[in-house]
Amino acid sequence: MKERNISPDTPTLRFDRVSVSYGPGLDVLADASFELRPGSMTFLTGPSGAGKSTLLKLAYLALRPSQGRVSLFGIDTARQSRAERALTRRKLGVVFQEFRLLEHLTAFENAALPLRVAGDKEKRYRNDVRELLEWVGLGDRMNARPATLSGGEKQRVAIARAVVMKPDLIIADEPTGNVDTEMADRLMRLFRELNRRVNTTVLIATHDMELIRRTPADVLRIANGLLSRQGQESGR
Amino acid sequence: MSPSAPLLPKEDTREAALFFVVCALCFLASFAGLVARSAYAAADTWADQVTGEITIRVRGDEAAAVRAREIANASPGIDTARLISRSEAEALLAPWLGSSGLPEDIPIPFLIAASATRDAPAVADIIDRRLKEEGLDAIVDEHSVWSSDLRQSTNAAGLAALGAVGLLIATAVAVIAFATHAALLARRDIVEVLHLTGARDGFISSLFEQRFLMLGVRAGATGALLALATAAFMLFLVKQSQDQVWLLPQLSLSLTDGLILGVTPLLAGFAAMISARVTVMQSLSEMV
Repeated sequence: MKERNISPDTPTLRFDRVSVSYGPGLDVLADASFELRPGSMTFLTGPSGAGKSTLLKLAYLALRPSQGRVSLFGIDTARQSRAERALTRRKLGVVFQEFRLLEHLTAFENAALPLRVAGDKEKRYRNDVRELLEWVGLGDRMNARPATLSGGEKQRVAIARAVVMKPDLIIADEPTGNVDTEMADRLMRLFRELNRRVNTTVLIATHDMELIRRTPADVLRIANGLLSRQGQESGR
Repeated sequence: MSPSAPLLPKEDTREAALFFVVCALCFLASFAGLVARSAYAAADTWADQVTGEITIRVRGDEAAAVRAREIANASPGIDTARLISRSEAEALLAPWLGSSGLPEDIPIPFLIAASATRDAPAVADIIDRRLKEEGLDAIVDEHSVWSSDLRQSTNAAGLAALGAVGLLIATAVAVIAFATHAALLARRDIVEVLHLTGARDGFISSLFEQRFLMLGVRAGATGALLALATAAFMLFLVKQSQDQVWLLPQLSLSLTDGLILGVTPLLAGFAAMISARVTVMQSLSEMV
């Protein structure tokens, strides 16, 4: 099991009256406050354009809030230096909606990217990455480049990249949007397994209400930039 | 499984275009540098050749000319003084009056060519005074006006060439920076992905710096070698077609030429590297 030095009482992610506005009357997110406890699993849902992606961007440090405070692992990210924020990002695993794979790298190299960035040597991680790609059903596509992969395959590479570092927090934007039900369940089991076995906190944005019903997790709903928390949905 | 590919993709058409731009600018800059250096060297040669040369024009008979030569030879600071023969004088006038010889009735003054040591003080004045004391009708010319004009002209030409080289280098650096910036904007997606996967700014920047440093050095070296080849070819053509090639700048591959050719790729590489760093850092500064 991965070592963690974060207090179990410290929220993994905390939003404190966070707002994002692109101008007067253009509020994308208004006064949002919530926290994700370590080891929790949470769905973020809401209609298109409601502000889900904005909230996720704030969480994975791609956007600064106009107001309020975003804390990760108990630290106000606005107070961190750029180098500290880079280290914080290494504790996050992000599945982008548009995958954001590097086109010149193979599936294996894309999945291993966070490990290379962190300075690991390939001989140390080679087998782990292979196993991971085999687990997501891409054992025979490791040397394929994104241009030759289907949407679902790209998505699985993106998911492999997000979980390869066994992150403390996984943030996924519609991670099952391009895969069939069977693969969606399999990917959710991967998230669930990381959540249970490694105590990884998981935040998943999805439209898929059926997926939410099938998976036991907390649910945050967002509509018109306003956030509301719902109780744990009943799972299977 | 093969070793992991570099984090940056192979060069594409944008970088090929940047290579061409850098190569062309480095060619122009180093060619102008070579020409300016050669012009300076040629100007120095011309000025050296006339410095210390004194011509004495004697009116009268041959005895007066011989006496004037003796006076010149005996003057302090004079290395040699010799009487120029009629055939030598005709050869000197041939470019203007033709080479078929001069009619006997055309009076040609007796000329004495004297060489003074470089540090001889006012030797022309001393010879002039002694000739007048001897009652000889002679004019002493140390070419000071001509050599002064020559020096002024060559200095002005040299400064203009240096200015042009400076301007070319500044333009080259600016264009390299602009082209690098444009090439890098197309790579912004890679910068973002690396940034969001936890890469530090310095790590991302160093990837691009290394890439563009090498691109600049390769393009600069190609441009510098092309400039050398062009200069050599032009001088070869000139030497084939001109008699008085000593008047033209000489390509000698001196230390200065080597320095110009050696510095050009380094400067190009450095400009591209710094520009890459500034552009990447600027892109990163727009990210959280």
